[in-house]
Amino acid sequence: MENKSLWKKITGSREALLLAILVVMGIFITILNPTFFSPVNIGQIFRNNALTMIMALGMLCVMLTAGIDISITSTLAFAGMTIGMLTKYNIVNSTLALFLIAMVMGCFCGAMNGLIIAKGKVAPIICTMGFMYIWRGMAYVVGNSQFASGEDVREFAEFGKDGTIGPYIILIVCYALFFWMLKWTKFGRKIYAVGSNAEAARISGINVDNTLISVYTIMGTLAGLAGALSVSIYASAQPNMQYGREMDVIAACVIGGVSMSGGRGSVAGTFLGALIISIIAKALPLVNVPSIAQNTVKGVIILVVVIFNVITQRMVDRQNLERREM
Amino acid sequence: MAGKSGRSINAEQKITAKKLLFTWEGALIVLFILVNIFNMNISQSYTFANVLREMPKYLAEMFMVLPMAYILVLGDIDISVGSIVCLTGTLTCYISNAGAPFPIVILGCLAAGLICGVINGSIATSFPELPSMITTLGTQIIFRGIAEISLGGGGSVAYNNTKQIMPLSTKLGKTVPVIILVVLVIAIIFTVVLQLTTFGRSLYAIGSNKTSAFYAGVDVQKCRFIAYVLMGLMASMCGLFLTAYTYGANTTTGQGFEMEVIAMCVFGGIASTGGKGTLIGGIIAGLIITLLRIALGQANVNSQMILVIVGALLIIAVLIPGIKGKIDEMKKLRAAA
Amino acid sequence: MKRKVVSILLTAAMAATLLAGCGGSGAATEEAAPAAAPAAEEAAPAAEEAPKAEEAPAEEAAPAEEAGAEAAEAATGGSDVSGKTFAIVVKSAGNPYFKKAIEGFTEVIEGNGGTVVVKEPSAATVDAQITEIQSLISQGVDSISVAANDENALQATLQEAMDAGIKVNCFDSKVNADSRMTFCNQAGITEVGQALIDAVLDLSGGEGQYAILSATSQATNQNSWIEAMKSIQESDSKYAGLELVEVAYGDDEPQKSTDQAQALLSKYPDLKVICAPTTVGIAAAAKVLQDQKSSVKLTGLGLPSEMAEYIGADDAHSCPYMFLWNPSDLAKLAAYSSIALVNGEITGAVGDKFTAGDMGEYTLTDGGDGGSEIILGPPFQFNPDNIADWKDVY
Repeated sequence: MENKSLWKKITGSREALLLAILVVMGIFITILNPTFFSPVNIGQIFRNNALTMIMALGMLCVMLTAGIDISITSTLAFAGMTIGMLTKYNIVNSTLALFLIAMVMGCFCGAMNGLIIAKGKVAPIICTMGFMYIWRGMAYVVGNSQFASGEDVREFAEFGKDGTIGPYIILIVCYALFFWMLKWTKFGRKIYAVGSNAEAARISGINVDNTLISVYTIMGTLAGLAGALSVSIYASAQPNMQYGREMDVIAACVIGGVSMSGGRGSVAGTFLGALIISIIAKALPLVNVPSIAQNTVKGVIILVVVIFNVITQRMVDRQNLERREM
Repeated sequence: MAGKSGRSINAEQKITAKKLLFTWEGALIVLFILVNIFNMNISQSYTFANVLREMPKYLAEMFMVLPMAYILVLGDIDISVGSIVCLTGTLTCYISNAGAPFPIVILGCLAAGLICGVINGSIATSFPELPSMITTLGTQIIFRGIAEISLGGGGSVAYNNTKQIMPLSTKLGKTVPVIILVVLVIAIIFTVVLQLTTFGRSLYAIGSNKTSAFYAGVDVQKCRFIAYVLMGLMASMCGLFLTAYTYGANTTTGQGFEMEVIAMCVFGGIASTGGKGTLIGGIIAGLIITLLRIALGQANVNSQMILVIVGALLIIAVLIPGIKGKIDEMKKLRAAA
Repeated sequence: MKRKVVSILLTAAMAATLLAGCGGSGAATEEAAPAAAPAAEEAAPAAEEAPKAEEAPAEEAAPAEEAGAEAAEAATGGSDVSGKTFAIVVKSAGNPYFKKAIEGFTEVIEGNGGTVVVKEPSAATVDAQITEIQSLISQGVDSISVAANDENALQATLQEAMDAGIKVNCFDSKVNADSRMTFCNQAGITEVGQALIDAVLDLSGGEGQYAILSATSQATNQNSWIEAMKSIQESDSKYAGLELVEVAYGDDEPQKSTDQAQALLSKYPDLKVICAPTTVGIAAAAKVLQDQKSSVKLTGLGLPSEMAEYIGADDAHSCPYMFLWNPSDLAKLAAYSSIALVNGEITGAVGDKFTAGDMGEYTLTDGGDGGSEIILGPPFQFNPDNIADWKDVY
């Protein structure tokens, strides 16, 4: 009896399903190209997609409150360009200081989003769309048509160099922190409460506005962190950094089972969703999909996984109903 | 029927000129005039003839503002439209280059847009629990991807016979571009349908409350489907006219249009949460943004700075209803005290 | 109702202040913004004397003020263009390559007394460039130099410009023969292809696998260079030992270029050389190879300032040498040819000759597509010996 319920629990959980999809994808890719499943490659998957993975955590929190943030890559570019310029002209050279500056800037950008969304009662997608234009424009203004790359950011790039463990540590710390925060802290439960039913949360004494502001501030801070990481990993700061990649982050969350209407989603699911997106990006060039068709294949995979999610969810719901009738 | 629909809530209210001015649309008209005065001040080249000449590219986007308003009123969103523009533009070139006569070229383009719309619509209606943002994100990547595949290594296609497509980019009497008239006619049709027909009212009903609309006998999924199909169709109109002005298409055609179009709608008072706003507002807002961009361009303001300005305007525009609500609330409280 | 009045006023006031503020700062960043309205009005009578009646007064006003200061310099060029406005339209904003080009262009034009209008489109798309060129036609500039995002798509717009009496030339990336008067080519396509394939041959030691990491699949320049490389390879038995395993596209994004470079390494263990004829791609590939301490060597086209870190003859550096031309010189050539076009020295016909200031005399040659072109010179090689001198230049 106990075994059965455990089995039900596993088959019923979205995370298990995602894991299954991941394993199938992994086996499929490994058959096509055995080099895929090598430690080097796995390491590169995490390193190259650390940005998506980190920002997916912030997006998880935002989406749990039934919001969305499409300004993240603009925030990333603004913060990244700023520290790129700071280190290029030798104004600030300490790696730690640069990371902190980027995070503070991200924090500020995020807080602006949060304030306007919470206090101004503006739809999140519209508010963040406005800031998407504004911060991206600011990244160009800060850069003044200059890049920072190669030698300009040599010292800073040491941190994210292939073979160093810096990016992995940031990744692990972030995921551990958010897992703990969303599962075991009051604040984490508040986020779920606000997303499930904002009115009910308000009546039960949760300060909804403050929760919203915090969530967007967290998102911005992570985007700033990702900006610094991006400069460090790619040894390059350009104003068009990660242009359009916010959609990857949102897709990662949705694939990971985070509901866009709020209240549902987990850190584990987000991780698996981000991993699927990362593996798609990594594997498509490896398995000889022609360059020109890679975008189409990526779009199809995203759509298929999302629809597959819905279909299984429907099946689970139906099973639950049937059981209740019995 | 539609509780939250529009800003003119009660049909029995008398519509006076004063009242009209106090609606969002009225404010937009005032802003429209102000923007024009401002534009004339910053740019010496801001003349009627020059504006008419620079308009067509923006007007091509205006095609998409119309159905996008429907989709936003429904509470949905479609971010695949830029890619549909690219795909239909590409196909139009190929059809024309294969030697097809002009009417076939136009029909082929519209058919391609229709199919894209049907695909978006079927996915959206078959899986209503999926947010439209995600499904159209998927199709956004796929539509542009298909265009990329068909464009092949060169990534760009040009009309062999540019004369054939010329009628679309000509000017009547050497001043008025054909596209203005086409946009005008279609805009009137879309406005009338949204504001005066049962279909239009049911869009507002769905956007305000899907469940109650359903119980009130509105075929929710059918309405959504039609909106997506119209969106595809109008995106192909945009593609058609855009290629007439660029003599071809490439993989970046229509890139970023979706956000510009949504911005115009939202600036026009059409809330992305659904059930609110009128198409007239969307059209005026589209014109304001267009004219502003033209004048700032003529004054040689940095193109990135123009984006910052548009973004800031957008945020201010959406903030105002919230601020107004707060002031109303405070007044009420004071009155109660 | 009063609240609504307040809100409307608020909208208007906010918008107006915002626009005024932003407009001001925007104009300040633009060196060549036309003079402010009052100045233009004052200068309006003077404009009537100008040869072209349709020119907007704003353009006349700015140079008139500067003319005195520039007069001394103008004498050296021998081609005074006081009162004329020259526009440069680059591919997109935020690109250091074009920043250098703009600097070179501005130096020449202002040195000869002209006014420069710089247009940096918000995105590297044709749509954005059309908007910018339309705006230039409205302003009534005298000449437009454009680095095109698509060969054919600007035709309608540029023809409209030429019909309005504006001289049109292009640089860096050409537009088709019908939409231009002449094209300032950085280097002959065959010359670039030859240099690249020879570098691959040299670095591979005469035989082995090589891969190409390009920009986007529709990048005209990259595609024509790659085609040139392929045809040279087929035409000479000297290259028989080389095998091109793949052309990958990094879309000029660091992340995608990194993914593609890493994929090339793990897919082809016997790979000897990667050739990246694009500045973003070569920098990303250089970092991948150097970080992984790979034995694969890299060559291609890159900016010295970005690549200084990776250029070296020993195994610790991934790129022994690479090529490029001076974007500033290219834009200077474009500027001189614009001046020659505006002054009527050349018409854009093959065989026309003009003097490009201290760069010497140039002749318009057949571009092979029905139009004329001006070739700057062969691509320049950057190696460990000269990289230190160039990395601070561009």
